[in-house]
Amino acid sequence: MALPVAAAPPVRRGPLPWLLLRLGGVVFVLWAVATVTFFAIRLIPGDPAEAVLGGPGSQASAAALAQVRADYGLDLPLPLQYLHYLGRLAAGDLGRSYSLREPVGAVIGQNLGGTLLLALLSLLTAAVIALALAAWSTRGGRWASAVTWVLEVVSAALPHFWLAISLILLFSTTLGWLPPVSVPGPAGLVLPVLTLAIPLAGFLGQVMRESLLDALGSPFVLAARARGESEAGVFWRHALRHAAIPAIGLAGWAFGALISGAVVVETIFARPGIGRSLLSAVQLRDVPLVIGVVLVVALGYMLVTTLTDLADRLIDPRPAPTTAHRGRS
Amino acid sequence: MKRFVAPLIAIASVALLVAGCSTTSTGSSDGKPVAGGTLVYATGDAEPTCLDPHVGGNYPQALVATQYLESLVSKNKAGDIIPWLATKWSESADGLSWDFTLRTGVKFTDGTPFEADAVAANVAHLQDPATASSTGYLALQKVTGVTAVDRHTARITLSSPDSALLDSLSQPWLAIESPTALKRSQAVNCESPVGTGPFVVTKWTHQQSISLVRNEGYTSPPADAAHTGAAYLKAIDWRFLPDSVSRYAALTAGTVDVIDNVQPDTLVAAKKSKDLVALDAPRPGASNRIELNSSIAPFDDARVREAFIRSANVNDAVTSLFFGTATRSYSALSSVEKLGVSEPKLFGYDQKAAATLLDAAGWGTKNADGYRTKNGTVLELDFPVSTNQSIPAEQSLFEQLQATSKQAGFKVNLHPLDLSSWYGALGKNQYNLVSAPYTKVGPDVLRILFDSAGTKPAPSGYFANHSQVKDPALDALLEKAAQTSDQTERASLYKKAQEIVLGGFYILPLYDQQNHFLRRSVVSGLRAMPTVSTPTMYDAWLSR
Repeated sequence: MALPVAAAPPVRRGPLPWLLLRLGGVVFVLWAVATVTFFAIRLIPGDPAEAVLGGPGSQASAAALAQVRADYGLDLPLPLQYLHYLGRLAAGDLGRSYSLREPVGAVIGQNLGGTLLLALLSLLTAAVIALALAAWSTRGGRWASAVTWVLEVVSAALPHFWLAISLILLFSTTLGWLPPVSVPGPAGLVLPVLTLAIPLAGFLGQVMRESLLDALGSPFVLAARARGESEAGVFWRHALRHAAIPAIGLAGWAFGALISGAVVVETIFARPGIGRSLLSAVQLRDVPLVIGVVLVVALGYMLVTTLTDLADRLIDPRPAPTTAHRGRS
Repeated sequence: MKRFVAPLIAIASVALLVAGCSTTSTGSSDGKPVAGGTLVYATGDAEPTCLDPHVGGNYPQALVATQYLESLVSKNKAGDIIPWLATKWSESADGLSWDFTLRTGVKFTDGTPFEADAVAANVAHLQDPATASSTGYLALQKVTGVTAVDRHTARITLSSPDSALLDSLSQPWLAIESPTALKRSQAVNCESPVGTGPFVVTKWTHQQSISLVRNEGYTSPPADAAHTGAAYLKAIDWRFLPDSVSRYAALTAGTVDVIDNVQPDTLVAAKKSKDLVALDAPRPGASNRIELNSSIAPFDDARVREAFIRSANVNDAVTSLFFGTATRSYSALSSVEKLGVSEPKLFGYDQKAAATLLDAAGWGTKNADGYRTKNGTVLELDFPVSTNQSIPAEQSLFEQLQATSKQAGFKVNLHPLDLSSWYGALGKNQYNLVSAPYTKVGPDVLRILFDSAGTKPAPSGYFANHSQVKDPALDALLEKAAQTSDQTERASLYKKAQEIVLGGFYILPLYDQQNHFLRRSVVSGLRAMPTVSTPTMYDAWLSR
């Protein structure tokens, strides 16, 4: 497998123009995301005013609908609504959620922490599982290699909803070890984290195993062994660093996968979080909340990719063209 | 509902002892209620957008509001109106005003006394467009005002006689809230509505739970309650658990004590467990039915409507998909409605009759796929299905009906849609078949569903007469019934109206609107209100 970030840019720009360019890119992406989301959700059929009034079983009166439309500015032409929305957005105001009757910023503030905690723990768990599988596979011989390969492929292909329900049936209903829905405290986090971590571990494991094998067969490992480095030392100090690079390159993608998985996991385990907010917001045509969540996720995605770019430079043991002495191998 | 609570608890207690379980049970096996404890209720219904059921007005709001708000009147199991916050009522001779004598000594949980001006403030709140009430607003359409005759007598005046007034007032969407609390902003009132009920809302953590604690000064149970004074439970933890598998898993694990929206397969599984007890509480109002849009081809021809109904093998589908948890309905109304008329012979499955009817209606030719055609047009039916309102078993049922009506030559196109898109499809009149629940107390629901006035879409495109029945004779019957307080005459008018609806093949009744609950056997005294079948925790107690 080719390494995603093979080399640093040949010419280093000064930090300021680079930062401005990057910032401009961020603003452009956020604008594009807000615009596409706004029109996408308004162009699918359905009247937000009707949904605000409770939906099934409650016939909204004309007066009630008119009131809601006036309250939320839904009686204006769509392009005008868009411009108003964009204007408020530029001023940093995400608007008020139609369905929760709270500022979108506050809703996201209340729910972001839960999702980030879930995503972070899942990422760590996935990394640990992937590492364990990769290590066993490279050192356990032919049989271990075959077994881990199957495990990785299967777990990478598991849909979140199926995995979540299977874990509930196994660990809660049959064994009775863990609560089937989120309860306060660490026990309530175990099943949601495993649901997100197992498929991710499958992907990461496949990537890490290949680059571990590459690294273990490469001259610098031979050199390290020749220097009298222990097996563990070779593995942890040399090969692993190599193997981590492609995995870190996948972090941006993993972040996206975790957030989309959070929509399912938070709903099934009844955990508060932005994934669950997003699902109900889309169903209710709660435009401000949908855009708010999508913007935050987009921002998070860009932040993660920027950080992985940085991390790549720090971890990559190979000498970069302009800083020749960073690597020690 | 006829569950033998006490023996089950006894069995459960014995089972616990035999198993050597060390839980010190505070409950007694003789069925004597115990005070205290927190009951955890897990709902699969959508989370309300506002806890004040005056705003909007849907079932999820009614479910939770039953715990903290109360209405002027209620209903008993036999379907008769009984006293609640009002002890007596009388209709004037011309039917244009009603005097309600109010219960004395009742206080809202914010300390405001419950008096006639509170009733006036609530009606005004429901009728104020700024409240954006839909269900309550519709129910009060004939109400012109409320005057306080004295502190404990409220007079409701009407523009025309309303035989459905008591039914309407019994619904949780018209519950009485503290007039002091209603003066707060809507945002605040939505978070913490104040009523006279047995519990008080203390905290609403969005997307997670609502915390309710016992109202220690409670004095106003409905006439059919099992006890008086404060509730047994100290608190209720009302959780939102949207996924049906994890909701049931949480119940079996004992994380929660009561769940709603129990699916047919889950009910069957729960029967095997002695720790779980089912409560079946069909909702009032309309039965679950498929509505046939008579305003556009091909269902503008009554023969084609009858042919579709004859070609749909509902009974086998209900049996195979609901495992005996649902009973087939042949009525426009729920089985809990006393005035419902059932006509099984109109809905018999008969492919031969369907074929004859279609031949007679000019759909005599079939294309290569086996679908009937007329002048080159295929006999196609669009069926938008609301995935929010139709449970998975019902969606499968529609698929089975699609298969059986194909034998007659109908091409049914099922379109699964989320709620908003589904409303959109109805508003554009782009449907031939549709199934929509309608919960309301009393037979007046027929006027909402079948009066020609219900075919005119609201500005949103929403309307309730999905069959688009426009029959002046039916309109006249329904209007007369709505104004007739003589019970015998009223029953006879509603009977005639239902015969027109059923005989015109405007609807295909399926079953009552399903409303199943499961409780752990440690919960006793749980019952559904006979009004809109929401569970009440007032008489409930825990033995653990």
